[in-house]
Amino acid sequence: MEANNDVALDIIITNVVSVFRTRCHLNLRTIALEGSNVIYKPEVGKVLMKLRKPRITASIWSSGKIICTGATSEEEAKLGARRLARCLQKLGFKVKFTAFKVVNVLAVCTMPFHIHLIQFTKNNRPIASYEPELHPAASYRIKNLKATVQVFSTGSITVTGPNVRHVAMAVEQIYPLLFECKSTMR
Amino acid sequence: MQSKAVEGFMKGPINPNNFVLQLPANYAQTLHKPTASIVIPAGQTLQNFTTKANGSGALATFSLPPGVSYPVQIPAGVTLQTSSGHLYKVNVPVMVTQAPASNRILPQPIQHVMEPREQVAPQGAVASVAPSAVLQTIPPPAADTYTPAAPSTTLLHPSEPQPVPHQQHLFLGQGGALQPPGALQPQLTLPAVPQPPPLPTPAPVTPDSPGDDEFTLDGIEFSPQPLDMSQPSPFAAQLSSGQACGGQLGAGREEVGQDGGGSLPVNAGEAKAQLVEPAKLEMDLMRDFNYNDLEALQQLDGACDSTSEEEAEEEEVEGGAGADEDEFLGMINAEALKALQEAEGSSEDDGSSSDSDALDDAVEEVEEDPLNSGDDVSEQDVPDLFDTDNVVVCQYDKIHRSKNRWKFYLKDGVMCFGGKDYVFSKAVGEAEW
Repeated sequence: MEANNDVALDIIITNVVSVFRTRCHLNLRTIALEGSNVIYKPEVGKVLMKLRKPRITASIWSSGKIICTGATSEEEAKLGARRLARCLQKLGFKVKFTAFKVVNVLAVCTMPFHIHLIQFTKNNRPIASYEPELHPAASYRIKNLKATVQVFSTGSITVTGPNVRHVAMAVEQIYPLLFECKSTMR
Repeated sequence: MQSKAVEGFMKGPINPNNFVLQLPANYAQTLHKPTASIVIPAGQTLQNFTTKANGSGALATFSLPPGVSYPVQIPAGVTLQTSSGHLYKVNVPVMVTQAPASNRILPQPIQHVMEPREQVAPQGAVASVAPSAVLQTIPPPAADTYTPAAPSTTLLHPSEPQPVPHQQHLFLGQGGALQPPGALQPQLTLPAVPQPPPLPTPAPVTPDSPGDDEFTLDGIEFSPQPLDMSQPSPFAAQLSSGQACGGQLGAGREEVGQDGGGSLPVNAGEAKAQLVEPAKLEMDLMRDFNYNDLEALQQLDGACDSTSEEEAEEEEVEGGAGADEDEFLGMINAEALKALQEAEGSSEDDGSSSDSDALDDAVEEVEEDPLNSGDDVSEQDVPDLFDTDNVVVCQYDKIHRSKNRWKFYLKDGVMCFGGKDYVFSKAVGEAEW
């Protein structure tokens, strides 16, 4: 088996989820009535605010906690979060942009080969799990990176991790394992 | 004009003869003179009460002699009975003063022991009893604002069935610095306004040891000032900004609430000034008073929501009022406060704990400044899209969204489009955001 160190794979980040706090109580009703591009969900107790520029959707709670989803990079996530806080500030709330943290990064990657999932699962018995009746992908959890890789037989994989760096490391880590089980059926 | 609660109260000059003070038996030990004579120094606030043997055994009854001068200090645990037969139990030492004539006060300053809670002021701060309108059974609603969080032992336990439930509730809840009871307190002191100078006088008396002949109201805090100082944070916070209770105390209360004590002295001053007017004794007032408090409490989470104010206040509110709120009459306030607390628990706790947590502090400081100064952060894309003459006024069946695709299923509407008006019973629309 050749260990390919030159992995010229394109890791495409599709979603970055981040949270931050405004440290002040937010009146959801005010946001819903006066804010623009908002969706009020009183049954859940939150307001969704969508931004166009960095295309993100934010869930705003009255406690001041805001979850920001849809960004395509960590920087964009932070920028979008700040823009959002600025919008709230313009609505009249004394927001402070604090405790910003990227909590989840989702990336996809395509291998140039198909993968034999059953063999892959057998090789990595405890770490990988595959239930074809439940889900067509084998899931591989990297504990130390806290990342989860879902391997599809087409060679596409999705990686979710706490930040972009971990995601990149996870791809590097799993590539040789996938290469072992590549299926020549392409 | 006159409330039914004070029916039977005598009008006109004080009739101390009709005032029966029933002291619990254990007071005998504190009384040095078992004789029936009562020595009441004229013109002074100190009173020396003695019990006289009563046929009822455990209950010592004595009547204020004629010509007794007010204010009269009554120790805790005393049950006062008015000439009309109303019983008022004083759980905290109170100062009975003569209420000045005012439109709010009953025609005659009945010596209801309605000393405001303030006297009860748990903190043990010596509060000078504000001598004015003493027996206000029900402080004006505005006064509710402030309740001495501490022991707030129910100041008043009217034995009358009607007012009791309300008041008791209020009183009981005081432990947690509930607002309604608190409100009572400030009001009670309100009557004392007319004699601000005497305020300090009782103070020296109260701290006296129980062993004195004179009844010193231990732990009685009459002066609103000390009470305010000690109490403000727990219950002041409760007041929360939302309460715009009009009322004299209300104004003061707001100050207290917002400033968390900084304005207490001011509040006290105002309270005193206003005490003159309210000297009202009716239980009905109390009920209304409580009701106002409820309203006030409700405002915590209501339209008057103000984030900046609440931030500071709610932290305190959560701390002080959380447990006690429940005791109140199932109030929405309690629920609202709880909801607020929970909702803000995470964020507020961080805020409150950030002071001690250096890391949080640093993060805060680092983050806060840029946001405020970063104008470029904000970008108003397409700011005023709503300025249009094409308007649709209708009802909706369903509004659906998938990602950025919207579908509208509308009904029964009128639309002004391109200067023309159209009416429809059903309309379907699609849009992309």
